[in-house]
Amino acid sequence: MKKLLNSLLSLGVVASAALAANPAITAVKVSDSLDTIKADSALWSKAKFETVILYPQTAIEFNDKKANALVANSKGKKAQVAALHDGKNIAVMVKWADKTKDVEQCMTSDVYTDGFAVQFAGSTAKPQPLPYIGMGSVGRPVVVHLQKATAKVYEPNGDKDVSTQINRQQTGVFEKELAAFDSKVASLAKTDYEKVFVAEGFRSTTEIKDNSVKSNGAMVHGPAGWSGTLSRPLKDDYVNLNGTVPVAIAVWDGSSMGRNGLKNLSTWIAINLDGQKPNVAMVADLTTDSKGNVAKGKDAVAANGCVGCHQIEATDGQNLMGPSLKNVGGYSIASYLRESIVKPSATIVPGYNRNAHPNMPWYNLEKGKRISTMSDFSHLDKNTLEDMVAYLKTLKAEVE
Amino acid sequence: MSKRQLAMVMDLNKCIGCQTCTVACKTQWTNRNGREYMYWNNVETYPGTGYPKNWMELGGGFDAAGDLQPGVIPNLEADYGVPWDYNYESLMTESADHRHFQPHVSPTWGPNWDEDQGAGAFPQDNYFFYLPRICNHCTNPGCLSACPRDAIFKREQDGVVLVDLDRCQGYRYCIAGCPYKKIYFNPKISKSEKCILCFPRIEQGLPPACAQQCVGRIRFVGFLDDEESQVYKLVHKYKVAIGLRPDYGTQPNVYYVPPTESPAKFDAEGKIIEGSTRLPIEELEKLFGPEVHGAIKTLKAEMKKRKETGVSELMDILIAYQHADMFRLDNHYYQEVAKEQKRTPLAPVDTRYIAGKFTKAGGHH
Repeated sequence: MKKLLNSLLSLGVVASAALAANPAITAVKVSDSLDTIKADSALWSKAKFETVILYPQTAIEFNDKKANALVANSKGKKAQVAALHDGKNIAVMVKWADKTKDVEQCMTSDVYTDGFAVQFAGSTAKPQPLPYIGMGSVGRPVVVHLQKATAKVYEPNGDKDVSTQINRQQTGVFEKELAAFDSKVASLAKTDYEKVFVAEGFRSTTEIKDNSVKSNGAMVHGPAGWSGTLSRPLKDDYVNLNGTVPVAIAVWDGSSMGRNGLKNLSTWIAINLDGQKPNVAMVADLTTDSKGNVAKGKDAVAANGCVGCHQIEATDGQNLMGPSLKNVGGYSIASYLRESIVKPSATIVPGYNRNAHPNMPWYNLEKGKRISTMSDFSHLDKNTLEDMVAYLKTLKAEVE
Repeated sequence: MSKRQLAMVMDLNKCIGCQTCTVACKTQWTNRNGREYMYWNNVETYPGTGYPKNWMELGGGFDAAGDLQPGVIPNLEADYGVPWDYNYESLMTESADHRHFQPHVSPTWGPNWDEDQGAGAFPQDNYFFYLPRICNHCTNPGCLSACPRDAIFKREQDGVVLVDLDRCQGYRYCIAGCPYKKIYFNPKISKSEKCILCFPRIEQGLPPACAQQCVGRIRFVGFLDDEESQVYKLVHKYKVAIGLRPDYGTQPNVYYVPPTESPAKFDAEGKIIEGSTRLPIEELEKLFGPEVHGAIKTLKAEMKKRKETGVSELMDILIAYQHADMFRLDNHYYQEVAKEQKRTPLAPVDTRYIAGKFTKAGGHH
């Protein structure tokens, strides 16, 4: 990518044509109910798959030395994404290559699992601007469905059944009674690690535990990798999906010690519900590239000193002050980039923890609101802003 | 920083490595539910690999600028050790010829694998001492700083550091961030767990299980702002108790009286080298920083004073006559906190240790 970018820059070519934006996906309407659909359902033969690129999340770096070494040169991953809807539910299938099948065995301390998540924008008065891709932002909530690959395992605290929470060796029983204890424990085993979260920004993520959101997720591993499926209602207390449904996809690779931010994620993808009126403005926002001039944008980013606080390209040094931008073009939409330049406080990535780097306050609290320490660049003229956005959209890792 | 801070002092001159604290903690908290491999309290031989293996080399903590350092998450089998068990059942069910009592896995590592090995050449200058370790309930906890979910918190009322198991999603950055590796991953529930300083006991007038059971009576517990407490006197008044590895920048609240008493070295003929000491001061400096010199000086001076005059408050404290003096748990304070939080104040189950800054000694509530 870097090479391609350099050659484009040297030719002074506007890169938008070469760096194709994401396609819109059509959720094919089916008459069968989708609330219990699995990956092997015949209904998926009707679905139209599109290629979506999932880029490594590099906005912030975590403090796990081994994991950081494993993901240091992560590439973008290709995923095949399709959707169906039945008028009441939406079902999404994500297929991605993963040579190693990492399933949680609940046995050890430093093993991680494969998984995937689908993020939906929560219902708000105005559908746009869309929430920040990383777990939403204040006033712009997201609902995230997370599915991890987990083997059948006994989760002792789930049912608060104290009598089965002890070691078999400490039961004080032998033979038949011990066998009965073992089978009772086995019968309490849980097979699924499926969770739904609501969030208004990274770190505010809260699990929805009152069953107010229906979620039907599953993962199947085959020779080509994983197929993950998720279906959920189009409407509930948290979302109201119609016309165009913006979704974002994330996948985790257990063998790269993937969990939470250590993942690959897409930008917002538009899914048009077959038979409904699409949200034209949103589709345009999510599928059209910025028309700016990449080379001029690069100059403007340099001239405005962004590198003082951000890592811009992978070759730049790390910077703890602002989020790294080296993959920002991969998972951010143009309207978010535009907004963040002119209104830096509109979305503040709370970052992983201010205690971790107390000398790098990237926001200050003023009357309970987070105010970015980044200066406001609203004085930039429109063309320069578009050029910068076009350049930032080119910042992304190679695709494997 | 919390409003008040509970602290524990451990007198390393008196630890005999009997592991009673370890067992007290294990039976109280960690013998079940996926915690089997964890030792919230362990006693390791120093110098040695420690628990988990080589924990001092696994990163975490803060640098001089205050930035959290990356760390490594230990492996259960290789670094902590699989808690092996035996086939007791076969003794009941197998015939006598087939009975073979054996562990369920072939153990390759475990806590105290190198117990009592120490360093130096036997018999000239070999040495070791025991280092009991629990969570340090730091003022600036590395685990808390590493958590991207705000799932770790420090209690306002006493500075106890706890994991919010509802918020924890098992990412394990806390383990990398803790330089003492005193927070553990529970693989059964996929969440992190750690020493809770026995807060349910503390709130009811009982010291932590490890401190109560300590046969060497090396552990003192109380609030650092309570000038009558022995922890205050040892840490602030006499400055003989120092946090472990203060260079990690987490400001630990478990303090150690450094080991001052070690035998003299032998020469090649096996004769005592007068005035020599086996414990290299460099090792103590590595563990406790430069302040260890002042602490040792004070300890030696007070010991001499006690020998010569029979009077030394410090020596009397370290003799640890009465549990009631060693533990000041300030029960009235906890009752007031409970009332403020609109919870039902707990009646103490043991009234011997309830005194404290806000509680009259021996008071009845």
